[in-house]
Amino acid sequence: MSAPQLSVRDLSVAVEDGPGQRLLLDRVSLDLGTGEILGLVGESGSGKSLFCRALMRLLPSTKLSIIHGSILLEGRDLVTADETEMLKVRGGSIGMIFQNPTSHLDPVMSVGDQIAEGIRYHQGLNRRDARAAAVEILAQVGFPNPDRQYDGYPHEFSGGMRQRAMIGVALSSNPKILVADEPTTALDVTIQAQILRLLMDIRDKRGLSIILISHDLGVVAQTCDRIAVMRDGKLVEQGEKRALLEAPTHPYTRSLIQSHPSMPGEAASELPDAAVAEPSSSRPLLEIDDLHVRFTGGGGLFGRGAQTVAAVKGVSLRVMPGETVGIVGESGSGKSTLARAILGLTPLSSGRVSFDGSDLTTDRAAALAKLHGEAAMVFQDPYNALNPRLTIGDMLSEVLRVQGKASDTDIATRVGELLDLVGLEREFASRKPRSMSGGQCQRAGIARALAVDPRMIIADECVAALDVTIQAQIIDLFRELTASMSLTLLFIAHDLAIVRNLCERVVVMYRGEIVEEGLCADVFARPRHAYTAALIQAIPDIDPDKPLGGGAALELDAVTQQGHSSGQPLTAVNQ
Amino acid sequence: MHRYKFVLYRPLQFLPVLFGISIITFVLVRLIPGDPARVLLGSRATPTAIANIRAQYGLDEPIWTQYFYFIANLGQGEMGKSILYKIDVLRLIATRLEPTLALVLSSVLLSVLIAVPLSAIAARNQGRAPDQIVRIVSTLGIGFPAFWLALMLIILFSVRLDIFPVSGYGNSLGDKLYHLALPSLTVALSLSAVLTRSLRGAMVQALRSDVATAARARGMPESIVFWRHVLPNSLVPTVNLLAVNIGWLIGGTVVVESVFALPGMGQLLVRAIFSRDYMVVQGVAMVFACSTVLVNFLADIVTVALDPRVKQ
Repeated sequence: MSAPQLSVRDLSVAVEDGPGQRLLLDRVSLDLGTGEILGLVGESGSGKSLFCRALMRLLPSTKLSIIHGSILLEGRDLVTADETEMLKVRGGSIGMIFQNPTSHLDPVMSVGDQIAEGIRYHQGLNRRDARAAAVEILAQVGFPNPDRQYDGYPHEFSGGMRQRAMIGVALSSNPKILVADEPTTALDVTIQAQILRLLMDIRDKRGLSIILISHDLGVVAQTCDRIAVMRDGKLVEQGEKRALLEAPTHPYTRSLIQSHPSMPGEAASELPDAAVAEPSSSRPLLEIDDLHVRFTGGGGLFGRGAQTVAAVKGVSLRVMPGETVGIVGESGSGKSTLARAILGLTPLSSGRVSFDGSDLTTDRAAALAKLHGEAAMVFQDPYNALNPRLTIGDMLSEVLRVQGKASDTDIATRVGELLDLVGLEREFASRKPRSMSGGQCQRAGIARALAVDPRMIIADECVAALDVTIQAQIIDLFRELTASMSLTLLFIAHDLAIVRNLCERVVVMYRGEIVEEGLCADVFARPRHAYTAALIQAIPDIDPDKPLGGGAALELDAVTQQGHSSGQPLTAVNQ
Repeated sequence: MHRYKFVLYRPLQFLPVLFGISIITFVLVRLIPGDPARVLLGSRATPTAIANIRAQYGLDEPIWTQYFYFIANLGQGEMGKSILYKIDVLRLIATRLEPTLALVLSSVLLSVLIAVPLSAIAARNQGRAPDQIVRIVSTLGIGFPAFWLALMLIILFSVRLDIFPVSGYGNSLGDKLYHLALPSLTVALSLSAVLTRSLRGAMVQALRSDVATAARARGMPESIVFWRHVLPNSLVPTVNLLAVNIGWLIGGTVVVESVFALPGMGQLLVRAIFSRDYMVVQGVAMVFACSTVLVNFLADIVTVALDPRVKQ
């Protein structure tokens, strides 16, 4: 490695906490070589984002301050640089890409203008030249029609294109270092592969150095040269990626590698046998026949221009009692709509859904009553799905009381049992969601679903918002619960690796239709549909030698992109 | 440009709205106890004289016939004759519209000129002294009633300092603006307080938003972050608040017009109500309704122009 582009020594950041200080970053030292991609991994709260904010001297609150250390860039120390100098460094020397392009792009300014803004300010170009330069950048980050798309606003683009725009904004002032903070976490797996490829491509063309922050070791393994692992504000381990992945020295790194979902779990290979062993022992618990769900949107007073969007198009599915079925697909593929339709939360346009013999179309009231008593849902965002004013105990008792499944005297005992089931200490009964971590909240959410004593649980992306090691724990919990309570589980996820680890059967949805369905082991080993194959190939594997995505993925990306860039994630048909 | 297509077809939707308003005002006005003929002729008028007047203005016809005449006249651009002023209602309104319109326009302009900088100062110094001062002043501005503010302004600027006239409305443009200074300041003080509170809140949020962080991260100085990203993102809710308030202002300038003796719509309406001048009351009500609809229409256009995400 040549002389480092950026050299951080003993960087410490503390927060004012009452009378004293609390360390959030504890003597972090690392070097970034020219043209190098450094992966920074760790869970939320480990300080990886804070580290990058500290590099730009943009700490998220005035209560935070750098108390120690140095950041050497081009022969000066950014810790002591004054604000005017930092204005040149931000954007000019270090560009930043954020996790959520939707909230970080200005919604009322065209994407081209946002790129041109940096060019005009940092390079002093006039309006016309800045526009030309911005069009050039838009082309570089993969806008097919940059001249026209310059004037587009962020909401007119798909998530993937917005992230490309965000990268364009970061590139606008020609920085030498790019800091990418979880740039693909909010994106679908095939789009993620594209964005990662774009970042590597930019590095090759511009000779940039990149710090890529991710909670996903797979992403880092696929793209980076070196990996640094952070935990609790400390850098616990860093090194060349192959060396680090093959022989991690720190126990935390080892647990990160083990909990990565691309490693096949042992349970996945066992469970299918059990399922096959008892075929057609009873009738299906859930039967869906040719289900269509359409939404009508837009349209004026006289119904002109009203558009019907088909979210679910002709889905048929049978789920046997005790089965664990994964539903995978990208955002907009209709998987959540399907879940809502099954629970009667969304009106059905046509087709039939019946739960344990009760038909949701012919006898809606009876079917709903049955569903409320025997099916439950676990939601994606554990914080928002829990009432912040109720303690976990109150929340669970409320469900038990409403369901009438436990007498008043038994409620306290039952709450305790539920907490035991989901692996929470009994003292959590008196805690409120805000004093709990994401994983603990999700456990509470699962306890609430179990309080109904359900026969079926629908989990909608319930681990998407959690850190990898927590994800692994929640998956383990589901595995135990389904085995011990003979629960039927419909597990909706965009993350195929998780579904492969947990489920016996998998259903792949694409644009509202089921394109493939079968036993997990079969589908993942021998995908029959090109879309499934593309999805599987786009999963970043923790093995750096398994390349990211393939030719098939690229072709399908083009198809997906067209559907997305029209601003309508779902296929729209004019009525 | 298809986002602006509603500008063409929205006015068609006004027709049923205005039709409904015309029925409501027409019926409500006639529900007020009292008889215009009796008010006009005084308490000692003979029954014959009253019957004559009633026949002359069509008041003896059934209410639906009266309404039919009203709509038929409206189609010809007439609103009937004022019983009190003896001239066509539309012509009467035309002479009174200008002072009210000028008052509303100048107070709205003044409010925006006060509210935007004040909110900017407050939001950028959030929690510090300037912010506290702006918040106290705007709370007071909302709290003080218009008539009291008007009197205080007259005492200070007209009586003590002798800068502005106590009341009345001028003839030339300059003279009119000179006479409007205190009335519009009265309205602007409370209106700008409402706007400042809304705008400051939106700005504080926008300053903390990801959009602002992203702009800072690409090296934009705080002034550009504020004026180019924070301000445009904070305006939309305030524009709608302003529209609601203008709608209210058009009908609510009565107090200010009375204190400053401005010959506007508010005064006309009050006098018409007291004399049961049905034609004038329903005419003025129609004008108020139309202008409220129009102001909201304009606010929709501004919202679409400010926020590319909005579709009408």
